Amino acid sequence: MNARILEADVGVVGAGPGGMAAARRLAAAGLQVVVLDEGQRAGGQIFRQLPVGASGHDRIAEPPSHEHGHRLIEHFERAGMDRRHGASVWDARPGRLWFEQGGESWLLRCQKIVLAPGAYDRVVPFPGWTLPGVMTAGALQVMVRGFGVVPGRRALVVGSGPLLLPTVASLVSAGVQVVAALEASSRWRALRALPAVIGNGARRREALWYAKKLLLAGVRLRWGWTVFGCEGDGRVQRAVIGKVDRAGRPRRDTARAIDVDVVGAGFGLVPSVELGLHLGCASRHDAARGGHHLVVDDAQRTSVAGVFAAGEICGIGGAEVAMAEGELAAAAVLHELRGAPIDAALRRAVAAERRAADAMLAAFAPMPGLHELASPDTIVCRCEDVTAQRARAAAALHGSSLRAVKMGCRAGMGPCQARICGPSLQAIANARPDEVMDRPIVQVPLKVVRSETIVDAPRD
Amino acid sequence: MTETVDLVVIGGGIIGCSVVQHAAQLLPPSTRILLLERGPVAGATSGSCMGHLMVTPDTPQDYAFTRTSLDLWGELQQQEGGFDHNPTGALYLADADEDLELLPTLLEQFRANGATAEVLDGRQLREVEPGLAEDLPGGLYYPGDGVVLPMLACGAMLRVAQRANPNVVVRPGCAVIGFERDGDRITGVRSERGTIRCENVVNATGVWAPDLAELAGQARLPIYPRAGNLAITGHHVSPIRTQLLEVSYLRFAHGAATVDPTRTDDDVGGHAVNMQPQTNGGCLIGSTRQFRGMDKTINHALLRRSLSRAQRYVPAVATAPIVRTWVGLRPYAIDKHPLIGPWPQLRGLWIAAGHEGLGISLAPITGRLLAQQLAGLAPAIDHTPYLPARFAR
Amino acid sequence: MSGRIEGLGERPVVTITFGGRQLAAFEGDTVAMALWADAQVALRQSSRNGAPRGVFCNMGICYECLVIVDGVTVRGCTTLVRDGMVVERGGKP
Repeated sequence: MNARILEADVGVVGAGPGGMAAARRLAAAGLQVVVLDEGQRAGGQIFRQLPVGASGHDRIAEPPSHEHGHRLIEHFERAGMDRRHGASVWDARPGRLWFEQGGESWLLRCQKIVLAPGAYDRVVPFPGWTLPGVMTAGALQVMVRGFGVVPGRRALVVGSGPLLLPTVASLVSAGVQVVAALEASSRWRALRALPAVIGNGARRREALWYAKKLLLAGVRLRWGWTVFGCEGDGRVQRAVIGKVDRAGRPRRDTARAIDVDVVGAGFGLVPSVELGLHLGCASRHDAARGGHHLVVDDAQRTSVAGVFAAGEICGIGGAEVAMAEGELAAAAVLHELRGAPIDAALRRAVAAERRAADAMLAAFAPMPGLHELASPDTIVCRCEDVTAQRARAAAALHGSSLRAVKMGCRAGMGPCQARICGPSLQAIANARPDEVMDRPIVQVPLKVVRSETIVDAPRD
Repeated sequence: MTETVDLVVIGGGIIGCSVVQHAAQLLPPSTRILLLERGPVAGATSGSCMGHLMVTPDTPQDYAFTRTSLDLWGELQQQEGGFDHNPTGALYLADADEDLELLPTLLEQFRANGATAEVLDGRQLREVEPGLAEDLPGGLYYPGDGVVLPMLACGAMLRVAQRANPNVVVRPGCAVIGFERDGDRITGVRSERGTIRCENVVNATGVWAPDLAELAGQARLPIYPRAGNLAITGHHVSPIRTQLLEVSYLRFAHGAATVDPTRTDDDVGGHAVNMQPQTNGGCLIGSTRQFRGMDKTINHALLRRSLSRAQRYVPAVATAPIVRTWVGLRPYAIDKHPLIGPWPQLRGLWIAAGHEGLGISLAPITGRLLAQQLAGLAPAIDHTPYLPARFAR
Repeated sequence: MSGRIEGLGERPVVTITFGGRQLAAFEGDTVAMALWADAQVALRQSSRNGAPRGVFCNMGICYECLVIVDGVTVRGCTTLVRDGMVVERGGKP
């Protein structure tokens, strides 16, 4: 294979709201931009587009606020730059991004890197969560809004946070009966988010849009409820649901069974921080913002020279935050490469969006008691089939750190590299759910690639 | 806080865990045994190595050493299990015709020790392993080798120890910061969490053994970290069922290093293929060797060569998904024999370290020999080649 | 149980084979979504206990939907269908 090398001024990782906003601004200023995105089309998870050739995303559960996002997609796709979809970045250092695309091994050489890889769902392990048909809330969204596929007939939606409503809306639009929609946080705790919603016009309109959608479909969101377990022969057929206390601990006396054929679970989001950590960027742990996230300054600069970050990787905040941070990151890149001044309005916009997002997310901060949903024989690490019991035995013998638990039972050592179990693993293994988690352990390849991709990787 | 025990083992890798296991089994159950580990149990070399159970037939002593240890591995599997013990056997593969000349010698060595092994031609090779490249000229099959998951084996050894002796305590996350002595006799260990009085201390800290020796006021032991780059595939994709080694591995891994291990700038490193199928259907791919101090960053050039050589023997490796790559550090003893036994210049100080790439294979016999010496029992095999006294001044 | 949302425009149809059976999919589908629309929910068997696993994250993170496409193990949710593609269940053989 020939060495496949790209040169550009800026490499942007991710084509969600943050990456698109940054890339569009940079391209408009005349810089050479390459965007590397794992998805097949621009938009990221939040502004998922149907495949090329299909039409009618407006028919599938898009609130009015998404117009903004789809306008951004249009601008992004019209701007002059090299957009590469289906590209997995597997190794990096400042100014260099190695990626696999279509089975080929590529290197992008660039002066600056903007990281906007987004986030993925946090799912707390519960009995039966490995059955086919049980999936993340995000997976259901992709299914409906990204592919126009109907997830099932009778759905259960569980979790916590502002993404439950869009999930329910998508299912309703796909003609699925939502049998129950369960928010683990209590109504009273959630009230704390109210000022942030009422005080922001776009968020208020969005909330009302979802409220109307649910009302028309006859779906009532139940507060302080969650899933206790799922059952079925070869796929999910029943779910046991019940109430949780304020810490999220299941109240077993309230358990009742319902018939469902698909379950979507999303207990918030986890920043996709691996690439940033691998580049050596400083991080911090903040439970309400999804756990470990990169630390950036007032111009989206990470602690590593030439590496900028925008959106969820800097802490969960949503699409509006990501777009504002993408714009600011682009302005900061232009400042460093061209000496252009950074517009103070961009900084103010980021600060305002972050304030609103933080106020909202504080009401849905992870509830440690939810880790008690797992029974001793519940699989915690889905890749290596490690049960809660084995993870606890490992922690008792090998030590309490994330690495110790991994070494003691191989949890987190499969292909997902602990992205799924990592956020819960230490808490469940140590039965000390309120402790800060160790930073994720990041190893190359950051995404699984073919052996020949590593062998053929262009030398830098 | 001061506590008193009978035996402190420093280092929670495979060697330390094996010493704890055999001490618990051979010493009276009233013996108080404490394992101190600075990080997690199996958190260093034993958590970043391959899981090779390998018999080396070069000399009768080597054979007895490795074979006895592999038999002890089999016993641990019977007793406890849970560490993916997999008796895969081993295929020593020739790359080209000139490698074929090595096979009769190897066959003769196995046979001289009474072991079964057979030389296969290219067609027979692919009957054993259909995934092998079609142009391989031949190889040697030895059925007695195997594979384990070392980090899980550490846990199995400690569980056996705690069942045999209720006075075994495992303390991860507790570093040793000094030693207490009275003249030429050790009297205790100072740890991050207080002083522990004891009569006997085992230094089983692998690549850190020289540092611990120095901390005890002794000469640095001639053990040097020798880095290896490794890669592992996803599950269910292993194109092989047998452990594979290049026949030149023997010269490369077990021959004397041709570079000075103390001069880390000099060594460009080398590699020889070792591929191990795992129980979950993954495949572990090594191995490279390079002296460069404690540096654990990946040497991309060596890793690429290693993967590319694996592809040469097993073409399907090219498209196999790689999940992780990393570096582990082997504790290389300057004369290529591990150090197992008492340190003559400080009574009560024992050493079990310096196994280079055979630490997993040799862990059980190492624990057994050391425990036998501690207990005053006759050694299972001739232990004199491994006595640390050879390095005492 | 599953299927397609009506009225989303026409995409060219391709045929893939899963577990020896032919099924129709649309260009632009991922393997995982084409199979889900055809009510195929078990995509692999877990590596230790052999239990069925299916789509979980649907965005390339979790590696639960591993399938074998033309002999190579890939993520079903990030691999696009191709006419004539042969797909087998991933995992324990």
